[in-house]
Amino acid sequence: MHPILADARRLLWYELAWLLAGVGLASLLRLTEQAEWTGALEFALPLCVVWSFDALSSYYICRSQPYSQRRWPVTLSLFGGASLLSALVWLGLGETWNLLGRWMSHDNKPFVVMNSAGWVMYFAAGFALYLLALLAHDVLIAFESVQEAARREAESRVLARDAELQMLRTQINPHFLFNSLNSISALTGFDPEAAREMTVDLAQFFRRTLALAARERITLGEEVTLCEHFLAIEKRRFGAKLAADLRVEPEAAACLLPPMTLQPLLENAIKHGIRQVDGGGTIVVEAQVRDGGLHIAVVNPVAAEDVPAGGHGVGLRNIRERLAVLYGTRARMAWQRGATQFTIEIHLPVDKETAA
Amino acid sequence: MNSSTPLRALIVDDEELARRLIREYLRGHADIEIAGECENGLDAVKQIGALSPDLVFLDIQMPRLTGLEVLELTGRRAGVIFTTAYDEHAIKAFELHAVDYLLKPFSKARFDDALARARTLHAPAGAPPAQAPALDALVARRTAPLERILIRDREQVHVIAIEQVECIEAQGDYLAIHVDGKCHLKPQRISEIEEQLDATRFLRIHRSFIISLAHLQAIERPGPDRHAARLRSGKRVPISRSGYEKLRTLV
Repeated sequence: MHPILADARRLLWYELAWLLAGVGLASLLRLTEQAEWTGALEFALPLCVVWSFDALSSYYICRSQPYSQRRWPVTLSLFGGASLLSALVWLGLGETWNLLGRWMSHDNKPFVVMNSAGWVMYFAAGFALYLLALLAHDVLIAFESVQEAARREAESRVLARDAELQMLRTQINPHFLFNSLNSISALTGFDPEAAREMTVDLAQFFRRTLALAARERITLGEEVTLCEHFLAIEKRRFGAKLAADLRVEPEAAACLLPPMTLQPLLENAIKHGIRQVDGGGTIVVEAQVRDGGLHIAVVNPVAAEDVPAGGHGVGLRNIRERLAVLYGTRARMAWQRGATQFTIEIHLPVDKETAA
Repeated sequence: MNSSTPLRALIVDDEELARRLIREYLRGHADIEIAGECENGLDAVKQIGALSPDLVFLDIQMPRLTGLEVLELTGRRAGVIFTTAYDEHAIKAFELHAVDYLLKPFSKARFDDALARARTLHAPAGAPPAQAPALDALVARRTAPLERILIRDREQVHVIAIEQVECIEAQGDYLAIHVDGKCHLKPQRISEIEEQLDATRFLRIHRSFIISLAHLQAIERPGPDRHAARLRSGKRVPISRSGYEKLRTLV
């Protein structure tokens, strides 16, 4: 359906515009002395209102010629032909209405008394008005399609993010889960208390992962709590090999960020760093707010002569892409492998929970 | 089964608790004695050589070397019980070659089962090991393309990233692996490594040569009907007629 016919308010404005055009036409007729004011207005106003519906047909003509597949000779002749046809309708309507006016009047006088030059001008005006309607509709359609494209893009982004969160929720690292259960199984034999604690940590970790991943933004403090449960489990698995030093400033802890941003970095640091180094090492996490941005750095030792068995860097690239989707160029993430340590740095815009 | 001499077992796992669990499960088996424990793949290679245990409990995902790489380097083909928490590739391979494995966490009953199976497979000294063909196939036919090549040089193990390899040459029973102007020898057949390599990155251009396409610089024509590949390092490698056909469809 035509967007103007579909909306009463739009239709009202559209008709008002045509009445204005009718007044313009009437004054033109008055100025060229073809009619008196009353006759000119009685002639022009109803004519414009009726013909305005004919002009709406230009919408469908424009729609039949989408920009992307427009062949200009075809389009131009179509526009010209349609304008010509509509101008003929306009002419016929004018003549008929004028005759009707003469028939209805008491003194057998038509609304306007036009000579042939006048009728030619009148015909040309109809042609020009229809052409104008075509151009206006063209602009309207272009504007609509731009808006539509923008809306679709925003929609697809939302969809992508939803899918990602869904994936996060279901993607529970099976390697981590089964190894942790194996550790619990071992602990029950000689340290039931530790086995119980580890079970609780594991449950807390998964519970929090599920709860946080469902939200769009969480505070760094919440993410750190999740990481502490994760580290408690990993410390049981790797014993003295794994140490962690979390230095998160209170101001940084209040900042918002997407869930599961820091935890995969720690997982990465253990898998590719600590585990590969004889004797292990310490993961250092630093988070602070400076220069109006949230800065997070994760540093872990790496084995000097390590040749990765594959799969390295995929997880990090995923996180970088996720941040790029959410923040665009306002987020930066970089990593660097030194001789003995691996450094990851993330810069995010400061975003705090508004006091609700 | 000879009950007078106990079977000697080596436990390989980088997690202390996982090793401890196997020790605990073994406590009930008087015929098994723990010969040693290792925390990483490199250590396992050394210990298997030094102790020659009757039985190895071998974790798949370990630092330095994976369990399968340990088998490849030591040539060990019997008396292995694999343990793994989760490894799709490895499990697919185990199923394919009917090799027994323990999925962590495992019960005492399942562990005892695996042990009973290993005992029946355990061949008396001198006899060929019963498990050998299955493990041979497991090591030779990886489900995932090779990411690194391992070379054992007496007590040392070199790990070479696959991107660094320029070309591989068959020399008798050995492979000469050319890397950065150096050449490492590895006892393996060229057809076997050809199967393991990523076919989009490596091409066998001659009966005794495989080249890395990333290191290929130019194809030269030293004579009528003769072709040679020039590598980035300047090294020249002969191309056979069928090798040239394969190369032409690729480049």
